[in-house]
Amino acid sequence: MDPVIEIDQVTKTYRARTGTRVLLGKGGLAEKISGKKHDTFHALENVSFTVDPGESLGIIGANGSGKSTLLKLIAGVTVPSQGTINVRGRVASLLELGAGFHPMLTGRENVYLNAGILGMRHKQVDAVFDEIVEFSGIGRFIDQPVDTYSSGMYVRIAFSVAAYTNPDIFLIDEVLSVGDEEFQRRCRRRIGELMDQGKTVVFVSHDLGIVNTLCERVILLSQGKMLLRETTSKAIDFYLRQIGEEKGLCTMVHGPMEAIVCNGRISIFYNEEEVTSASGLQFQVFYMGHWQNSQDADWSITDKTETSCTAEGILAKVGITLVWKITLENGKFHWDLALRNEQSVSINKYEINMFFPTRFNQWMYDDTNGMFQDILPDDTNYLAATSPELLFETASLLANDEGLCAAIGLETENQRPMCRASWHNTDFMTGCRALRIEESPMDGVIAFEPGTHTLINMALDPTLSREEVQNKLGIDSSRYTIESGPLRSRFDRGKIRLTHDGVQLTSMLHFYTSMLVNNVWYDSINFRWDQIEPIDRGFRVAGTSRRIPITQIWELTSTDNGLHIDIFLDIDEKIDIQEYHSSILLSPDYTQWKTDHESGSFPTIDTSSNDWSHVSTKYEPGQSAIATGPSLPTLTFSGKFQDEMLPHTILNTNFQQASRVLQALRLPTHSMFTLDTGRHLYMNVDIMTSYEND
Amino acid sequence: MSNSFYTNAHQSQLRRLIPDLIRSRELLRDLVWKDIRVRYRYAVMGFLWAVLEPLFMMIVLTFVFSVVFQLRFQGINGDASSGETAVIILTGLIAWQFFATALASATSSLTDNRALITKVNFPREVIPLSTVGIALVNFAIGSCLLLIVYTLLLGKLPGATIIWLPAIFAIQFVLVTGLGMLFSCMNAAFRDVGYMVNASLLFGFYATPIFYQTTLVQTELSNRGWDILYTLYFLNPMAGIVTAYREILFYNQVPSWQLLAWPILSAILALTVGTIYFRKHAPTLSDIL
Repeated sequence: MDPVIEIDQVTKTYRARTGTRVLLGKGGLAEKISGKKHDTFHALENVSFTVDPGESLGIIGANGSGKSTLLKLIAGVTVPSQGTINVRGRVASLLELGAGFHPMLTGRENVYLNAGILGMRHKQVDAVFDEIVEFSGIGRFIDQPVDTYSSGMYVRIAFSVAAYTNPDIFLIDEVLSVGDEEFQRRCRRRIGELMDQGKTVVFVSHDLGIVNTLCERVILLSQGKMLLRETTSKAIDFYLRQIGEEKGLCTMVHGPMEAIVCNGRISIFYNEEEVTSASGLQFQVFYMGHWQNSQDADWSITDKTETSCTAEGILAKVGITLVWKITLENGKFHWDLALRNEQSVSINKYEINMFFPTRFNQWMYDDTNGMFQDILPDDTNYLAATSPELLFETASLLANDEGLCAAIGLETENQRPMCRASWHNTDFMTGCRALRIEESPMDGVIAFEPGTHTLINMALDPTLSREEVQNKLGIDSSRYTIESGPLRSRFDRGKIRLTHDGVQLTSMLHFYTSMLVNNVWYDSINFRWDQIEPIDRGFRVAGTSRRIPITQIWELTSTDNGLHIDIFLDIDEKIDIQEYHSSILLSPDYTQWKTDHESGSFPTIDTSSNDWSHVSTKYEPGQSAIATGPSLPTLTFSGKFQDEMLPHTILNTNFQQASRVLQALRLPTHSMFTLDTGRHLYMNVDIMTSYEND
Repeated sequence: MSNSFYTNAHQSQLRRLIPDLIRSRELLRDLVWKDIRVRYRYAVMGFLWAVLEPLFMMIVLTFVFSVVFQLRFQGINGDASSGETAVIILTGLIAWQFFATALASATSSLTDNRALITKVNFPREVIPLSTVGIALVNFAIGSCLLLIVYTLLLGKLPGATIIWLPAIFAIQFVLVTGLGMLFSCMNAAFRDVGYMVNASLLFGFYATPIFYQTTLVQTELSNRGWDILYTLYFLNPMAGIVTAYREILFYNQVPSWQLLAWPILSAILALTVGTIYFRKHAPTLSDIL
């Protein structure tokens, strides 16, 4: 079959233009008359390629490499200075999204006008008009003037016209980021449909992930020259290594490991194989209603050795500088993320996104693990494999095959207590496994005083074998794990995670304690837990607070039907504690609760709840608090002080944490407990699970 | 491929001009309609303004020139009555208005539609032609008004010579289209052209017999012995065209060949040069806009 696009030795030269045209002076009429040559620059130089019908071609390259010029030439908006272009078939391009729309005309009138500009007759538009309206989701607004539309509606109707003009060749230029997420999904599906119908698609994007999934072949442009026409993976690989703005590009090699920092995106290679996927490792900040991606920043490499570098990226719109320190050391890749601001800045949230190829199909963190589902063409959204958890210390990915890199180990050292992490499948177009580490407080405010703020330190280890990952996990977790019948309790930095026959019962903070000192709550998860010693039927762990002179000692032992925890406090200097509680956060699948004094069902947690809300109303001391749920074991939570009964309360967390809470409190009879130096028993907790009550 | 649409190589081919325009006729019509709709969409009286606006202008200008300035015109029998004066002025005014608005808006049309041209590939001629089309709609409305005014003020219908009117109009249309294409394209490269056109139109308003008659020019010039200037005066093709309109409508005369020779020649010249120049530069318009 004949190619639909033939580009033969095309050169496009523009006359250098310095603002205005003048009669005298450079490039002016006077020089023209006298025959002087004006300055020119080559937007494209001697580019030749063909595109076959039904092919999807990606064009990548840095800014100013001639991508847009090439697209304009194919669209026929301009002609080459030298060489020939042959385009067979009608071209529709998303270059022209909404070009020719008049705000005062109705949607209907604009559809006809815009389609007319794109070369369609009224009759042809009649035939697809209903589809256009349907696709845009504009509905009855179609007969309203376009200036009453929201910007989203405007873009939607504009895209719909372009998408339904039934082109043979479809040119797409970086515009898939328009409209809301729902609409973007529809756009991608429509592009997929067009490709299925055998239409030719030419696609220009910075988003290598999308290029990777959409395109069969890729053309790589650099300074107007075509460097490469290759299969997508090879071209992207080459692009990452060779191209990119020099000052923000840095390659480090250490043995079989290689890391490329390219203007706000990091790619890691091990034995010449890319461990990350095309989208790499990225960072983004949500600020004033927009995501600002690290790739939008202005990067420069400030410090560089063979195996390490410091990259600084200025996000001018936010007023922060991203400071990334990357080191290759002992077979590990280290990534320290910090941000620096000269003036106080409040951002809404931030995310670290790490993308990995789909051949990694098993995720792990701490001692939980699971399989990723396959990503299907219908997946137009990110699909969470796990719900956001407090940031783990270790995580791993296992590949489904014994490739060169069979497993990736991740270690994190978190400087921000509210950071949470979750594993995701991306949408089909991007086609990756993603680890997302985010901090997004309910009130949407993360304030940074002027200075440098470390966000997270991370290490990535591609050298592990499957066995190592599996064994390491077994050893580490077994030390901190107690099994009592089907109940498995695993201690992890100030919290205890409970599973019953493999079913996870607790969530978010799991079992933890908190104490109120000087009107500030100190959670056990923020203590530094580092000592462990085995005791009869269990182990003892100690955690020291960074701010108050208290060390908590938890003795975890297994009992016949559950877990027993004795909590002691080591006091270094005399201190007043206003309140103390132990709590267990349960999965929202628990629906019923009961205390010694009352019982009821948990209300659903509504999306607007920013605070924890009390469910029970009575605070008299009692034996226990019990939670039940369909197909979940009954969980009995009982806090005592020696033989004294304590009040138990029932709460719902806020929407974001989405958990049920059983809590045992020690309330002082007077205003506070005053503790002298020495060791004090503080609470005894029993947690039991059973199916008996069902 | 059978549905091969329109590739960039075509834009420079003269022989494809006519097929391109036939293919784009709906678009051309839509663009004209768009402008008219947009103009009156939010006005309560809507399209009525398209009639009222030129009507008011006609009333005011006629009043100023015939009553305030007491301009004297040669009527059918001796001095023109005030009604005859109004019709004579109106004839010149409407013809000039078409020429001036069409040329001014065509000249700036490509730069005004920069966003469209730099993004979409379509026959570029559509843009200046649509502006001529818009002026044409106003011209049609003005002509109808003139006809009504004519009947009311003179108490009779125009004579049989009116069948010559389309011919004169055709000359004017060809002239304005040719100049419009030429200037719009030149203006894309040198924005000076737009200012020069506007300045020339201001001059042209006085160098065209609108509120005077050519006989006045002839008398005044020969009184001073500058007869040669009278020939130069007719280098303005609109002088011949407006005079021809008046002869047909008012004096029931068929215009002479001497009067029309230059307007016809200049119209053909303008269209030829305009089309060739436009076609030559159309493919690279997006580069210079």
